[in-house]
Order: sequence, then C-alpha cells, then structure tokens
Amino acid sequence: MCCQIGSSGSVDERIYGCAVEPPTHCLGSEETFVAEHSEVAKLQLQGITKSFPAVETTRSGRTQVLSDVDLEVREKEFLSVIGPSGCGKTTLLRIVASLIPQDSGDVLVDGKPVTTPSSERAMVFQSFGLFPWKTVLDNVRFPLLIRKVPSKEATEIAMTYLRKVGLEKSADGHPHQMSGGMQQRVGLARALATEPDVLLMDEPFGAIDAQTRELMQEELMRLWQETRKTVIFVTHDLDEAVLLADRILLMSPGPGRVRSILPVDLPRPRWNYDVRGHPDFAAIRAELWESLRGDLLREKSEDTIR
Amino acid sequence: MTETSNGTSARRNRLLPLRAVLRPQVVLPLASLAAFLSAWEAVGRSVNPLLFAPPSRVVGAFIDLLRSGELLTATATTLNVLITGYALAILVGVPLGVVMAQARTFGALVNPYFYGIFATPRVVVVPLIIVWFGVGYTGRLFLVFLWTMIAISTTTADGVRNARPDLVEVARSYGVSQTQLVRHVLLPGAVPFVVSGLRIGAERAVVGVVIGEMFLQLTGLGGIIVVNASQFQTAHMLVGVVTIAVIGTVLIGALDLLERRFSSWKTTSN
Amino acid sequence: MTTGMLRTKRIRSRMAWVPKRRAVHHVLFALALLVVWQLFSGVVGPLFLPPVDAIAAAFFDLVVTGQLPRALGQSLVLLVVGLLAATAIGFFFGILIGRSRIAHWTLSPYFSALFVTPTVALVPLVLIWFGFGFTGRCLVVVLAAVVPILLSVSSALRDDPGELVEVAKSFGLRGELALLRHVRLRAADGKAQAAHDDRHGRAVVGMAVAETYLRLGGIGGLIRSYGSLFQTDYVFAAILPLSFLGIGLTALVGRVERRFQGWQS
Repeated sequence: MCCQIGSSGSVDERIYGCAVEPPTHCLGSEETFVAEHSEVAKLQLQGITKSFPAVETTRSGRTQVLSDVDLEVREKEFLSVIGPSGCGKTTLLRIVASLIPQDSGDVLVDGKPVTTPSSERAMVFQSFGLFPWKTVLDNVRFPLLIRKVPSKEATEIAMTYLRKVGLEKSADGHPHQMSGGMQQRVGLARALATEPDVLLMDEPFGAIDAQTRELMQEELMRLWQETRKTVIFVTHDLDEAVLLADRILLMSPGPGRVRSILPVDLPRPRWNYDVRGHPDFAAIRAELWESLRGDLLREKSEDTIR
Repeated sequence: MTETSNGTSARRNRLLPLRAVLRPQVVLPLASLAAFLSAWEAVGRSVNPLLFAPPSRVVGAFIDLLRSGELLTATATTLNVLITGYALAILVGVPLGVVMAQARTFGALVNPYFYGIFATPRVVVVPLIIVWFGVGYTGRLFLVFLWTMIAISTTTADGVRNARPDLVEVARSYGVSQTQLVRHVLLPGAVPFVVSGLRIGAERAVVGVVIGEMFLQLTGLGGIIVVNASQFQTAHMLVGVVTIAVIGTVLIGALDLLERRFSSWKTTSN
Repeated sequence: MTTGMLRTKRIRSRMAWVPKRRAVHHVLFALALLVVWQLFSGVVGPLFLPPVDAIAAAFFDLVVTGQLPRALGQSLVLLVVGLLAATAIGFFFGILIGRSRIAHWTLSPYFSALFVTPTVALVPLVLIWFGFGFTGRCLVVVLAAVVPILLSVSSALRDDPGELVEVAKSFGLRGELALLRHVRLRAADGKAQAAHDDRHGRAVVGMAVAETYLRLGGIGGLIRSYGSLFQTDYVFAAILPLSFLGIGLTALVGRVERRFQGWQS
C-alpha cells in the first residue's frame, strides 16, 4: 500500500513516494490529481538529483541534498513546498530556476527542458534582492531591459506593476528608504513585470515581521488570482503553506525526497473569511505537522547514532 | 559621548545668544591661523626675511608672479599634465580593473607587479624616464598616468570582486549576459571602491606632476619651486607650494563631494 | 569550527585560488616576463632596457662591492628614525586632536594643509631651512609619514569605543592615562591599520625623496649617481630593493598589527 495521508476527503488521491522505502508499486506512478484547475503540466521535474561537497568534516565525499525528485506542477496552480531544514527545498527551487545545475534529471517547462536562467521563471528572494543603487522603478524595469524591451515601454510596464502592488508613488525612491514589506512588493512587481510562466518564491516573507507578513500573504493571493501564474512557494511556515496553496509538497530530509503531496481544497478567495478556522485547515495542518515531527525525530535519532 | 561634550554644550548655550557665526569651529581655526601668521611674520622679519619668507613677502611674491604671468603659465602647464594624465588613467584604469576582476588568473598574476611599481618612489624612477621618454611632456605625463592608473584599476578590481553575491544571483536569475551583469550589477556596486580609487589616484597624480616638474623637466609650478629655491627666493617658492596645495585640495574636495553623492544608498546596502 | 564558518571558508576558497597552484602560476608568469624582457632588450638596446643578465650582474656588483649594503643601511637608518619620530609626533597630536575638540579645531587645518601638499614640494624649503644634514632628511620623512598616522589615531579615538571603555572600567583600570593606553589605543590600532596603510609607503617615498634631492647617500643617492652616468642596468638593480622595501615594510608591520588586534574579532 502506498503511504496514505488524510482520513478526510479526497478519496481518489495517490501520493508519490514515502519517507524511507518507496513501495515498488508506487514508484513511477505518474497519475495526475483530480484537479479543479487545469490538468496541463506546466512544469515537470524528472529524477532530479543533486549533491554538494560535504560540509561537515565527519562525513567524507559528498552530501546528497536531493535524490530522485519527481514532480509535476500544473498550470496556474499554487504549490507550496515545505519541509524541515536540510530537505533541499531551496536547492530544488534554484534548480528549477537553473541557477544551479542538477547532477541528473530534467526540468521541463511546457514539455521542453530548460538549462539556463530566464525571466520566464522569475524568482522572488527572501532577502528581496533589490539593487540599492537603482530606484524602485529601475529595479522593476531591470528584467525588462535585460530582455531588450525598449526603454519607454519598459517604464510603462514597470509602472503598471508598481500600481498593482500599490507602490506607484514610490517609483523614484530607493530601496533603503522602504520597509521590508514594501521592498518585497517591489521584488514581486519586478518578478511579475516580465509576465513569467512560472513564479518561484523562496521564503519571500521570511524576513518580514509577522503583521506585515499577513498583509503580504493576502496581497499575494490577490495578485495571484488576478494574474493566475503558476507559483512554487517555498516556506518553512506550516500555516503559510496551507493558507496559500492549492497543493502542498512535503519534502523529507537527508537526502531530499518528495515525501507526500497534499491537496488543499479550502475555498477561494481565502481572505474574506476565517480560513484558519475552517476544519479542513486544521486537518491538513495536523497531517503536515505529524509528518514533519516524525521526520525531525527520526533525523535526530539518526544523528545521535552517528 | 565623553565628558567634554557637556562642557562644550554649556559653552554653546552661552554663545547662542550671540551670532551663530561665532561658533568654536569657526573662531578657533581663524584665531590660531591669525596667531600663526603673525608669529611667522614677526620671526621672519627679525631673523631673515629672505630665508623665512614672512607672509607679507609671500603675498608680495604672489602678486609679482601673477603680474608677470608666470604663475598663470606655470599653473596651466601643471594642470595640463595633471588633467590629461588623470583622465587617461580613468579611461584605462576602470575597464582594466573590471577585466582584472573578471579574468581572475590575469588579475592575480598582474597584481604583484602593479603593487611593486606602485610602491616604487617615482623620484628614483626619473633617470629611467629620461632614458625612455627624454626630457619632456611625455615623460611627465607618464609619471602621472601609470601610478594613477594602477591605483584606479586595483581599487576598481577590488570593488568588482566584492560584488554582493546575492545580487549577482538575482541578476543571473533573470538571464543576464556578462555585459549586462557588469553594467547593471558589478560596476554600480563597485562605485564606492572606484571613487576611493579616484581619490587615491588624485593624490598620486598631484605628486606625480610635481615630481615631473621638479626632477624631470623644470617647468610649471614644480619648476617655480625649484628655480626659486636655488636662488633662495623663499617667498616665491612658497607661492608655488601653496598653489599646488590648493590644486590638490580642490581636486580631492571635488571627489569627496562626488563620493557623498554616490553613496546615499551605501549605508544600508550591507 | 561552526558550520557557518566552514561554509564561509568553502565559499571563499571557491572564489580564490588554492595557494599552491597560485605560487606555481606566479613563478611561470615571472619566468615568461623575464624571457619577454630579454627579447625586448635585444631589440631596443641595453640603454633603454638592460638585459636581465646585465641587471643581475649589476646587482651582484653592487652587493659585493658593498655599495648596496652601505646605501641600504643608510636608507634604513633614515627610514626607521624618521618613522619613529613620525609615529611619536603622530600619536601625540593624534590623541590630542582626537580627544579634544578645541585641539581639533585649532590644529587640524595645519595637518590637513600638510597632507595635501606633496612632500617633494616641501623639500626645497626644508633644504633652505635645515640644510643638508641628517636632521633635514629626517624631517622630510617625518613630513611624509606623520599625517596619515595622526589621522588614523584621531579618527579612531573620535569614534569612541564606548562599550570597550565600560568593560575596561569594570576591570578596575584606574586613571585616564591607563584607560587611554589600554583600551583606546588598542581600538585605535585596529582602525589605524585599516584606514591608512600607506603611511609606510609614504615614509619610504619621503626617504627616497630626501636622499635623491639632497643627493646624499642612501639608495636614492646611489640611483641618482648611476642615473646621471646613464648606467641603466645599475639603476634597475638599485631600484629593486627600494620597491621591495616599501612592500615588505607594509606587509611586516601589517602582520604585527594584526596580531595586536586579534582580540578585536
């Protein structure tokens, strides 16, 4: 039997992989989920493996960070990726962005393999990544200029997106004059300005205070519903993962693998009712928490054995 | 802060009713300058006016040199070599610095030789310059150019090498080409280093032009210094010295302003 | 070592060369340069660019006949005395200016004026006022080196290592002077090193200027005399120690100072 999570709802789910030993009859099962959204696979990861030279002096050779990750991300869906530290979620995101090469496996966008970074897979960074010497407007224009969009057009597009995030008045300001939340909104505008196929978000609200974070989550959901991009959202915050996602990818550490994928069928839009009070929210969150806790405890005991 | 601040603020409160002009930072330097100049005047006059060049004599010499046109011609000559050499040093140094930072092997190999040349006092290199360029404009220009260029290129290379890796990654994620990376990320990020290099280069350039004019070819302001020194015309000599000091101050002051303009974002960038 | 430190180490080693490889590359590059030099010298003639063997011979001759050691000795004496004097004066005025606002407003302008004036330009004046003696030459070195020292000391003091002062006070250091010496100068040392490393370079320049202009002894004098004879091979041979002197001195003092501020990190 495949590892099954979830007692309630979604009877016809299949889940990829298991924490330790994938039962053979679950391997290679590429059935997609019953989806409310599009069934077209926007992004496919096939057998992604990645290792780095070992950091700790006790271990020799290399640290396996990702091992045989298979994943399909459907068009226009919001996928949260969560897992304990060391499960390779950030590495995975960077591989999707082609910022680091995988050891083996393919990343396919619309069925075609991608190997170099491009603004079609736009990234939003935890540290915001704004250029301090550029104005807010120039920061948003940057990816457009890289793609040789003529200057005037670039300004217009940039202003449009600044308006979408509510920062059109700050266009001539500089990043250091703005709060963390504002800077990340600029980062978001920048990523959206090139109308990317896929939006990759690497713990984008991690460096932002709790109250602003809630506002940013709502704003992100609004923008997403308006622009309907395919989003991969890496986070370590369980609540955030459940709140935002259509599906949640739970990864297990050492080496990183797909542990399970949970659908989140909470009704949208999720900002005009108490989502966290919804029974399904608690159920999904509880499942995630159990799995994560199990993984952490297991890793801790393995560490002490080592 | 320290206990002196209390005393100062008490003093300031007493001064506030008076005009703001009479602040310590304005009064004291002027007072000390006045004291210094009068002391110099007195000592100079009594001991040996020729050798000691009291301020009154220096002013006289200044007017003298100005009227004869000597000062203006000399300043023009000096500024010519200074500005040409400095401009060339920037034009060559900045791109070279970028190349040195990007082509790491080249940069690492060349670095020690640059430092070696930079550490060599130009005064002793003059005989070689004479052999290579003869006594003339080119030699004097070379003395300004090479050392200033080294200062600018090494600091630019440092700046480019110190680019924030997270910002480089951001740029890469949008698919930049190498040229675009240099233009949008590496060079702007290196600006503080480049400006610092421009300042060091400016100082070196001024020294270089003076060395050229004192040791290589007696012309310009350096020439005024040497010629008048050999004739014990100390006052005239000092006019030359002061003029050079003023040129140096103006140049470096301008660069300081430039640095401040370009660094408004620097405080929070790291 | 923590993981964080190891990670930083890894990143740095990815960006720099592994030292062993670098040494080999430098040696090869140097050899290549020497070959090019030799070829060039054949083309432009021994006056313009003396061949490598001629320079080596000249260097050997200078060493064996004792000219270079003697000159180097004279130069070093001048340099050391000058630097010590400059350090003493620089520290004295630096502390004064750093601690006292009045001193700062009264005295700084003169040092600033000195700073922007090329030392060379002042040498004739020194010559007129102090003559050809050792005092005059020493003074030139002092004039060259004193202001950077002063600036580092005074700016570091003005930055006021407040926390450090508190800590030191709690350990029972009594008297402003002791406090000053132990805590503040230690903090100043760290910044002094960072801020104006080229004071040694300037001292060497001052020394060279003094000797060359005054045409007396030392390496500067040596170079000048051979230069006037257009013996470029000897000129090159004599310049080399001077370049290394500047670099070596800065590196040596840098290492000593870094040991001093080991506690700062």
